[in-house]
Amino acid sequence: MPPLPSPLARFELNTSVSNLRHLRASDLGPYDAVYLGNIYCRRYEANFLERPDDVAEAIRVLQDQGKRAYLTTYAAPRDDGMPPIRRALETAASKGAAAVEVHSLGLVKLVRDEFPGLPIHVGNFANVYTDAGVEVLKGFGVARITPSYELPLDEVEAIARDGGIPVELVVHGKLPLGVSESCFLLDHETTWGLPCPDLCQGDVFLRKEDWSLKSVGKGILAGRDVSMIEHLPRLIAQGHRHFRIEAVSESPAYRHVVGATYREALARAVCGDPRPEPRWGEALSAQARLGFCNGFYFGRSGMDYAGAAIAGQAHPNPEWRER
Amino acid sequence: MILLAPAGSPRAVEAALEAGADAVYVGLQGWSRGGARGELGSEQLADAVRRAAGQGAEIQVALNTIPKPPERAALEAEIPRLVALGIRTLIVNDIGILVSLRRRFPQLSLTASVGCGAQTAADVAFFREIGADAVVLPGTVGPDQAAECTAAGGITVEVMLHMVEEFVLLGRCGMPSYVHLKPTAMPGALAAGMRQTGSMKRGGVGTCFRICQEPWELTDRHGHREQQFFPSRQLSRLGDVPAYLAAGVGALKLQGRSLPPESLRPLVARYRLALDEAGAGAPVPAWSELALPTSWTAVGR
Repeated sequence: MPPLPSPLARFELNTSVSNLRHLRASDLGPYDAVYLGNIYCRRYEANFLERPDDVAEAIRVLQDQGKRAYLTTYAAPRDDGMPPIRRALETAASKGAAAVEVHSLGLVKLVRDEFPGLPIHVGNFANVYTDAGVEVLKGFGVARITPSYELPLDEVEAIARDGGIPVELVVHGKLPLGVSESCFLLDHETTWGLPCPDLCQGDVFLRKEDWSLKSVGKGILAGRDVSMIEHLPRLIAQGHRHFRIEAVSESPAYRHVVGATYREALARAVCGDPRPEPRWGEALSAQARLGFCNGFYFGRSGMDYAGAAIAGQAHPNPEWRER
Repeated sequence: MILLAPAGSPRAVEAALEAGADAVYVGLQGWSRGGARGELGSEQLADAVRRAAGQGAEIQVALNTIPKPPERAALEAEIPRLVALGIRTLIVNDIGILVSLRRRFPQLSLTASVGCGAQTAADVAFFREIGADAVVLPGTVGPDQAAECTAAGGITVEVMLHMVEEFVLLGRCGMPSYVHLKPTAMPGALAAGMRQTGSMKRGGVGTCFRICQEPWELTDRHGHREQQFFPSRQLSRLGDVPAYLAAGVGALKLQGRSLPPESLRPLVARYRLALDEAGAGAPVPAWSELALPTSWTAVGR
């Protein structure tokens, strides 16, 4: 008799990786699935989206580990960037990627028309705000949606309930807040003595008073890490099953520590135990640069934090603050 | 090809029409992104429609917030009144609202706002498939790319030739609400409705807290420290009008609902002349580009 499926089998914990080097350096044990590619910049170091052979190798590596490989795509593609996207999609489809994430509505149609066997996940930058928007995308065969990060949990719940498409939520990491067609870090290439594509991998932060953002060149992320670890029981009770650790700009250590912590928290929450462990907060704090927030889940500005377990860790890294 | 001008007040409508706009887009009080961008009340809108009709021009209405589902019903309840006023074109910012309006009001022409983020031929094809009559591309899309977008046909491609290009792309900015999100009452529209001030998509762009105009301290792990502004620039493609015309673009759109009439009038007049000259096969006059007021930024846009 085959073993009964674990209660955790209904859930997915996934993360994001930009290139093969980072993938190989990362212990992806805590994860069920991985998004491949950097959505911001075609010049990002060895970006999967520009290297179909690397996509093929990454899919093989992930499949060997029993994990699902998802290809992501650019947040704001232009027509001159479509040929490499098509090549990456062809590789993803032929090598058995489990889905492709798209942020551009045009790519929703393109994937449906040209790669009909490839399930479509719609990402944050597609700006899905309402159940009516979900209904439109359902007509395109979309398999999963990440609603706009600006939505509070009650609206996300309504979308999940009324939209009829599974929803994916970022539960930890730096929320993507914007995408650009230019990179101001290039202005510092000479004075800093750092060439592209190394510039944007230097943990570049923008700070003003208690506001903080992270720059990844053409992308702007939240400065603080979203953390929903103590709210996982609520998310599960609302029926959510797909959780993302946003780690595209993070180190392999971050990816592993945060993933392992959430894996444990998820297992406990699924078993009905809502109590967070203090060591979870300690583990996450050690990886955060500028503290935590909840994003927009509680209807407040994205940089606020609601909760008790790690609320005292708003600025957990004194060394960083002194820089 | 038509010239589509902005207006945030009755005087601005008048200025745009007198300067030669074929159509003028305005915000409907409570249902556009408001703030420094003016919005017109019902009577002002009715007057604008009458005035435009007298000149053979059209008033288009921007309904470019994304209301919550309960408020969406109230928004849709406004539409018959707009139709009765003579409005034939609505500009919307959400695919759900667009499709819903398409089903309920097949007689209306629906435009996917520049805030929908379209910038590729594939995006244009998507909006055509869901029933949009027109889609607005940012002026960062050049004439050659615009030609690719118009090639498929079946939908009018508009290009916002005169705009502020912020660092973060239109329709893809969540910075202000990350820093501050402030629900505020919706003026004149719905007593219980809340405009999400700080959200670039859900209303209240008029108070976006100037995030992208602030000097930030830029640091990295190597100890570098710089003062950093988010780069932005005024984009004006007056000289490219003939190329966009040749590309099959259906409307040249100008940004600037917050512009005072005295700034709007010469702006529209220059594009009118450029369009007419291009249509006649004459070279576009070699003006210096018309600069917008220095205060005219993301907040006032």
